[in-house]
Formats: sequence, C-alpha cells, structure tokens
Amino acid sequence: MTDTTDFEAKRDIADIAVERYKQGRLTRRGFVAAMGALGILPALNSKAFAQANEIVVVNWGGTAKDVLQEVLCDTYTELTGIPVVVDGSGPSAGKIRAMVESGAVVWDLCDSGAGSAIILEQQGVTQPIDYSIVDKSKVLEGTAYNNGVGNYVYSYVLATNPKLLGGNVPQNWADVWNTKDFPGMRTFRKSVRGMLESATMAQGVPLAEVYDVLGTDEGIKAGIAKFRELRENIIVWGSGSDSQNLFLQEEVAIGNIWSTRAHLLKDQMDEGSFNVSFNGGVIAPGIWVVPKDNPAGTEEVMKFIAHGQKPELQVKWLEMIGSGPINPEAAPLVPAELAPWNPSSPENLATQILYKDEWYAKNQVSAEEMYVDALIN
Amino acid sequence: MFRNSDKMRYWALILPALAIMVTFYIFPVLGIWEIAFTEPTTGVGNFVQMAESSAVRTSFILTFRVAAITTLGCLILGYVVAYAISNFAGKLTPLMLALVILPFWVSVLIRSFSWIVLLGRSGLVNDTLRDTGLIDSPLRLMHNEFGVLVAMIHVMLPFAILPMLTNMRGISDAYVKAARGLGASEWTAFRQVYFPQTVPGVMSGALLVFVLSLGFYVTPALLGGGRVLMISEYITYQIQEFLNWGLGSALSVALLIATALVLLIAARFVNLRSALLERK
Repeated sequence: MTDTTDFEAKRDIADIAVERYKQGRLTRRGFVAAMGALGILPALNSKAFAQANEIVVVNWGGTAKDVLQEVLCDTYTELTGIPVVVDGSGPSAGKIRAMVESGAVVWDLCDSGAGSAIILEQQGVTQPIDYSIVDKSKVLEGTAYNNGVGNYVYSYVLATNPKLLGGNVPQNWADVWNTKDFPGMRTFRKSVRGMLESATMAQGVPLAEVYDVLGTDEGIKAGIAKFRELRENIIVWGSGSDSQNLFLQEEVAIGNIWSTRAHLLKDQMDEGSFNVSFNGGVIAPGIWVVPKDNPAGTEEVMKFIAHGQKPELQVKWLEMIGSGPINPEAAPLVPAELAPWNPSSPENLATQILYKDEWYAKNQVSAEEMYVDALIN
Repeated sequence: MFRNSDKMRYWALILPALAIMVTFYIFPVLGIWEIAFTEPTTGVGNFVQMAESSAVRTSFILTFRVAAITTLGCLILGYVVAYAISNFAGKLTPLMLALVILPFWVSVLIRSFSWIVLLGRSGLVNDTLRDTGLIDSPLRLMHNEFGVLVAMIHVMLPFAILPMLTNMRGISDAYVKAARGLGASEWTAFRQVYFPQTVPGVMSGALLVFVLSLGFYVTPALLGGGRVLMISEYITYQIQEFLNWGLGSALSVALLIATALVLLIAARFVNLRSALLERK
C-alpha cells in the first residue's frame, strides 16, 4: 500500500503563517518561531528538548506549530505542570519509522494522516490509542483508528466569487459544470485528491454513494470524462497559495479549494466577492499517531490527546488557523460569524463526505495519470 | 616531447572545470539513468509505461511544438533587431546592445511574473483594452498556450539576437555594395548576398533557443495554468507529487535523448562546428 497522506495539505497550513503574520494575527515572536520550524531559521531541535517529564509533539511547522503550542500545549502545562514542546519538522511516515527502528525515539505524538496511520500500524511502529483515556465519541465518526485518532479537519470546498458571477452563484457541483448559466474560469487542484469526488457528484451521484461509484473503473472514467468536458474552463492550482492568488486576482470565479485557504480569502476579498459552500465538500482529518517506545510514556501522551479534545480548545484552533474541530461537541461553541466557515459544523457535515484514504491507496496513481491526460490531451 | 607537455598543460588548465562538470553534472545524470532503469523494478518498465501513456505523448508533442514556435518567433523578431543594430544603429549600438542584454540581469521568475501582471484577467493589457472600449469582457491572454509563447519568446529573445548579431557584425558591407553596384535591387542584394552569409548565425541562434526551450520549466508552469504541461513540468509532477522517481527519471532520459537527436539531425543539415563555434 502506498502512503496516501497529503503532505502538501499539511505544508500548506505551514505557509499560512506568513499570511497571518502580515495580517497582524501572529506576534513577531510567534512568526520567528514559525519560521524556525519551517527551517528558514535554524530550529532548536527536538533532541535538546527530549528530557523526561516532557512531551514532544511534532507537526508540520508554520502557524500550526505556533497555534498548537499556544492552544494545546501551554494550556496542558498550566493544568499539569508538564512541559510540552512542539517540533515543527514534519513527521512523515518514513521519519517516524526510521526513528522507531533506530531505537532513538524522541517524538511522543505526531500529526499524521489516515494513510500514514494505517501503514505505520501495519509496520508495527506505532502504539494503539488507549480509548479508555481518549474519548472515541469526541472525534468525528470514522476518524478513530486502532493506532491513530483524529485531531482536526479541513475540507475541499466549493468557493465562488459572486461579484464575477453577477450574483448568480453555483449551489452544487452540477452547477459548476454548467458553463452556460455560470460562465467564467474554474480552478481545481493539480491532483485528483478531493477533485474526482466533486466530478462524481456533478453527475448526480448522492453523497453516500460517491466512493462506491468511484470504486469501479467506469466510475473513475466517468469522473475523468467530466474534467475533459470542462477543461477549457479550468486553471489548475498546484499549491494552496496558488488557489488563493487565483481568487485574489479574479482569474477564476469558481473553485474547489481547501477550507483553510478559504478562511484566509474571506478576510482578504471585498465584501460580497467571496463565498464558500460546504455542499458536496470532502472533509479530511489530521490524525495523531504515537510512536512506539515514546520517551514520555503511553499514558501521558494519551492524557494529552484527551486534553486536546476539549471543545473550547478546538474552537480556538478554528479561530486562529481555520482548521475545523474534530470534536462534534465543539460546534455550538463556535462564534456565530465563524460557524458557516467551520468544516465540521453539523450543517456543513451533513452535506459533506469523509475523504477515503483506502480509495486513494488503491486508485490514486492510475487516476492521476488519467486526470493529467484529460486536462492536456 | 615538448609538444606533449604543452598539451598536458592545456589539459591541466581545463581540469578544474572538467572536474566540476563530472562531479556535479555527469555523475548525477548517470545516477538518473540508473534510477530510470532500476526503480521500482529493474528493467525497461518505466519506458514501456511512458510509451503507453497518452499524457506523456501529448506532453512531448506539446513541448516540441512550443519550442518550435518559440524558436520561430525569436528568429523573426531577433533577426530584425540584430540586422538593425549591426547595420543602422551607429552611435546607438552600445545602448541597443545594453537593452538586449538587460533582461539577463532579471531572473526568469520575475520576468514571468511580470507577464502575469500584464496578461491577467484584470491585468494591464485587458484593463487598457477595456477602458478604451475595444473589448467588453477580458480576453484570455494567459493560462493557455498563447500566454506561455508570449512569455517564452520574450525570455529567449536575447539567445537568438546575440549569436545573429555576432555573425552579422563580421559581415563586410562590401559584398552588398558590390551587388548594388552591379545593379541588384535592395531586396535581391539582401536575399542573395546578405542573407546567405547570416545563415550560420541564424542556425546557432535557432539551436540555442530550441534546445533551451525544450527543457524550459518556470514560464510554462506559471503561465500555462496547468494545461500547458511541458515535459520538464511533467517530470517535477511525477517526482514531487507521486514520488515516482522511476518514471520521472525515465522521462528526463527521454528528454535528453530527444534533445540529442535534434542536435544530430541538425548536424546533417548544418555545420554545427561553424554554427556554434565560429562567428563568421
């Protein structure tokens, strides 16, 4: 099985640091720390920190590192007196495996993805989540694995610019494929992740059946054919910042982009020129994994994961960086003006499907090839 | 004996440059060749996959088409510029030369971004056209092949002008004068006397631009909107997006061979040595 974790999505959350700093939402100290995590300034590495009675949490740097430190780690230290530090060097599955196999584990908790979590479990380098400490009911259904549990979510959403569309905004993916009533350019990711799903929904397939349909060769081909049909109206985005620029420069009127980028765009675009719909969105979770023989011990880490499940902390996360709470109980605490932008609010959840890593493990490589072909040939 | 040690001295002089080439170019390229044949399994699997993929085929055709059109555009525009500079610029020659060379001081990335500013949907060109009432809705000037070609011709232009200029400056004006004196019209004198003498310059400019265009990456990636996928971008795509080093390497081997073939074919029609090395 290939690793289907979307490392680019994680890196993108790191890039958002720069934007936040510009908007004055990150302190200078926070920005310097984030840059350190990104490797632009030499980071004080985890080894120096890995003493007993300390938890080392690893994520992908950027604002996410800063926010993680402030929202989850510092609050945990306040409660328990146990220091928690964040290392933003990017815990790829390969690194976790290498660390465990070399016997020099310095990481306690890693922000990974479902694809990596499954592989790492098969390779026997991660620990089972102790669901007597971590509450299974406090994560989205489908994000509690044996050796991994959800920590936050982001979505692929339908973003539109009502100004360019004359106020007539597409309501679903079928509308997006209707170029007669909704003229203008669209943007899709330069990868099938989260994209084939929308093309499948555009054919009228109900949410619950999307991955069933995509499970067949005909289903994949039909989805690809939709892109071939629309390609004269497509500009692709490679990175999260690409998608953001395309909207800012009014190059596109419609797009399938990350909700975290949409969260930035809503503040940057003029009133009435940016809109997001979670109708037909694809919601993807980040997953915590715990390496075997972690220095802080199993129980301590499980307690920390449980701490992170607190709804009020999860809401803060959304406010600061746009990643949605994994805990459904957090939704009522989200401020009213942010609720429509929350990927995991009950209203938004009802219209989305959960990103299926198993499908990507099986089909992604061949689907990507066909996708490129549809766009250029 | 004396002559031999003389030769040795020359070899010693080029040794540092050669060492850098071998260490940082030849050696890595061989590594790429190895990966192309060994990952994920040993054999020609990557090349079979490549040959069967219609996306790869399209990308190759596209790459050669873009390179060919860019070359043609650069030659036509560049010839006029080189001709004007070498024959009519007079005192202005240094200034005009500076203008040709100036873009070299600005990175390709910046130059490509400038085209985004100019050609965008709400870019300078579209805004001007709209304000003057020539168009109602913005034209699609980029995120397609047109945008890529405009920017590539701009970036490549100096590579066409400079060899042609060097060549033209070596041509004595006596020949054209003689032809005119013998009663040839201006056009005939140009076509039959001047132009044939500039062919080596044109050829070296063409080869330079074509070969550089084949491997071009930044400009198509920025202005193509993902639909003008040149081979070099496709290689990046395979390696960065899918960690598919085997196929990525196989593609770059194929590009290298294709480029070599172009040179070989060109060598049948042009004297490469005189086109590339002698500026007469």
